[in-house]
Amino acid sequence: MSATLTKPRRPAGASAAGAAPAVGQGTPPGKPATAALASVTGAVADAAFRAGSWLWKATGILAFLALWEFGPLYLAAPSTRVFLPPLHEVLLAWGRLFESGAIQGHLAASLSRSVLGFGIAVVAGVSLGLLIAWYGRLNSVLNPLLELFRNTAALALLPVFTLLLGIGEESKVTIVAYAAFFPVLLNTIAGVKTVDPLLIRAAKSLGLNSPRLFQKVILPSAVPTIFTGIRMAGTASILVLIAAEMVGAKAGLGYLIVNAQSSFLIPDMYAGILTVALLGLGVNFLLVALERHFSRWRTAVGA
Amino acid sequence: MMTAKISLRNVSKQFTVRPGRKPGGTATTLTAVDSLSLDVRDGEFLTLVGPSGSGKTTLLDLLAGLSTPTSGEVLVDGQPVTGPGKDRAVVFQQYALFPWRTASANVSIGLEGKGPDGRKLSRRERAAKAREYLTLVGLAGFEDRFPHELSGGMKQRVAIARSLAYEPDVLLMDEPFAALDAQTREQLQEELLRIWRATGKTIVFITHGIDEAVYLGQRVAVLSARPGRLKAIVDVEIPDRDGDEDIRSAPAFVEQRHKVWTLLHDEVRLAQDAGHRKILPDGAVQDEPGPEEPANRTPQGSPESQERSAA
Ligand SMILES: Nc1ncnc2c1ncn2[C@@H]1O[C@H](COP(=O)(O)OP(=O)(O)O)[C@@H](O)[C@H]1O
Ligand SMILES: [Mg+2]
Repeated sequence: MSATLTKPRRPAGASAAGAAPAVGQGTPPGKPATAALASVTGAVADAAFRAGSWLWKATGILAFLALWEFGPLYLAAPSTRVFLPPLHEVLLAWGRLFESGAIQGHLAASLSRSVLGFGIAVVAGVSLGLLIAWYGRLNSVLNPLLELFRNTAALALLPVFTLLLGIGEESKVTIVAYAAFFPVLLNTIAGVKTVDPLLIRAAKSLGLNSPRLFQKVILPSAVPTIFTGIRMAGTASILVLIAAEMVGAKAGLGYLIVNAQSSFLIPDMYAGILTVALLGLGVNFLLVALERHFSRWRTAVGA
Repeated sequence: MMTAKISLRNVSKQFTVRPGRKPGGTATTLTAVDSLSLDVRDGEFLTLVGPSGSGKTTLLDLLAGLSTPTSGEVLVDGQPVTGPGKDRAVVFQQYALFPWRTASANVSIGLEGKGPDGRKLSRRERAAKAREYLTLVGLAGFEDRFPHELSGGMKQRVAIARSLAYEPDVLLMDEPFAALDAQTREQLQEELLRIWRATGKTIVFITHGIDEAVYLGQRVAVLSARPGRLKAIVDVEIPDRDGDEDIRSAPAFVEQRHKVWTLLHDEVRLAQDAGHRKILPDGAVQDEPGPEEPANRTPQGSPESQERSAA
């Protein structure tokens, strides 16, 4: 059990190495000496293996960073060089922005908007999704409508939100919520609908009534799919927020990027882009970990 | 039969089969079980054999209260079955364990509501009960395992423990060992007999293995090919059944098995012919699973393989 439970807790990158430590941890407690030895050798082998695989994975990133550092100097034409500052200039700009507290301010603005919008979307998406999936009639009424809305690019509605809610926080939080809502909603519906009918039969034969069937079988079995929706929503909310901040805002990473561009502070612009990239990476990492945690029972189902 | 635990009286079950996707198709009715009457004594071990598609699972659903008969009556303890109840438990071929629950939590799910005395068991009481029943099926120490960490045989043991845990009178089993390898199957058959002797449950056990039916059952009910009717009931009389001898090679066993085999033989051939009619002329598949029906609705095991298992 330790093997399967520890595996998902590992960061995404190390999952390939997950089998190695399991040898150590999975040893039965009967023979402490050999068990300890096994876990030591296991850990060493694992560390080496992991270091190797990390090195391998880092190669691509390192190559890209090197290209960023030296490319502008040796490869770019002089006219474009000014728009492509080498990495160290961008990092210096980032350091200055950090020292002045500007980057933290913009990050906080962006984060609070996306967290709020995302939170609203998750709560609304999950509860409405459960309702729709549970009441079939509701589904047939709402489905065409949902299909229409979900295929309308969220950003196309930005002008509408801006007109109705102004250029302040409300319109940005709303558009984030809107964009994040659909992945959560649709995955919740799908999760409930794809519950194994055999499990429902089994639960009924065990005497579970409708509310308990929902609580004890349908909901838990839908949770992994719901979390997939939540992860997608996290990505969508950052994507849409940055774009919205670029169009009309006085703070936020999107604002930082366009503002730096129009003020011709090109390294600052790249510092903003770098921050957005790292933010996206961090959010995705967090949500993937969460998703794995909640779907760990799904590993090897049917095997 | 004075002490009938389960009584089927003229039970028929028909399904409306949806027309094909092509326009102009009309809905047809399919009779899965046709005026079947059968009594099961209290504490009896009854096995039920029949060709694939002869309505065995349909019959079990009726007994479990998962569906209602089109006509006729299903009685348990003289009372009509109106739905699933704590007096009956079902064991499915595909285990049907809840994969997000540990073995212990799977076993105790039926105990989470109010018990027959209107009292709710505490978490600790439920865990103790789960441990007790997991021990009964030989899985002591596996309480915290998740289903995906267990072998097929262990999963089915958990499923059996789960169905026993809330102490039903009747155990309904739908080809529970069909997916297991021969050795595990034999082992579980023996343990089931041991549990049956120890607990005195009434067991209705569906199988398509003739050996299994004769080995386990006190009586073997043979169903005809679709529509399922009761073709015959064979009383299995094997002297010295509880002895240490390998009863499968005892002359009495061979004789009984041959009897069941002969009864089933014609039916299997009939089912085989009928099999061609399962695809309707408009291309619709009759055996399309409905919303409540799991994949096992499609007939498992060709008639040939049944004949082979009989040979
Ligand atoms: N829900 C359903 N809708 C339509 N036909 C069904 C349904 N359930 C079972 N059937 C049909 O009834 C017949 C008997 O099925 P079943 O009871 O599963 O057979 P068995 O378990 O003996 O193999 C089959 O032809 C099957 O296709
Ligand atoms: Mg069946």
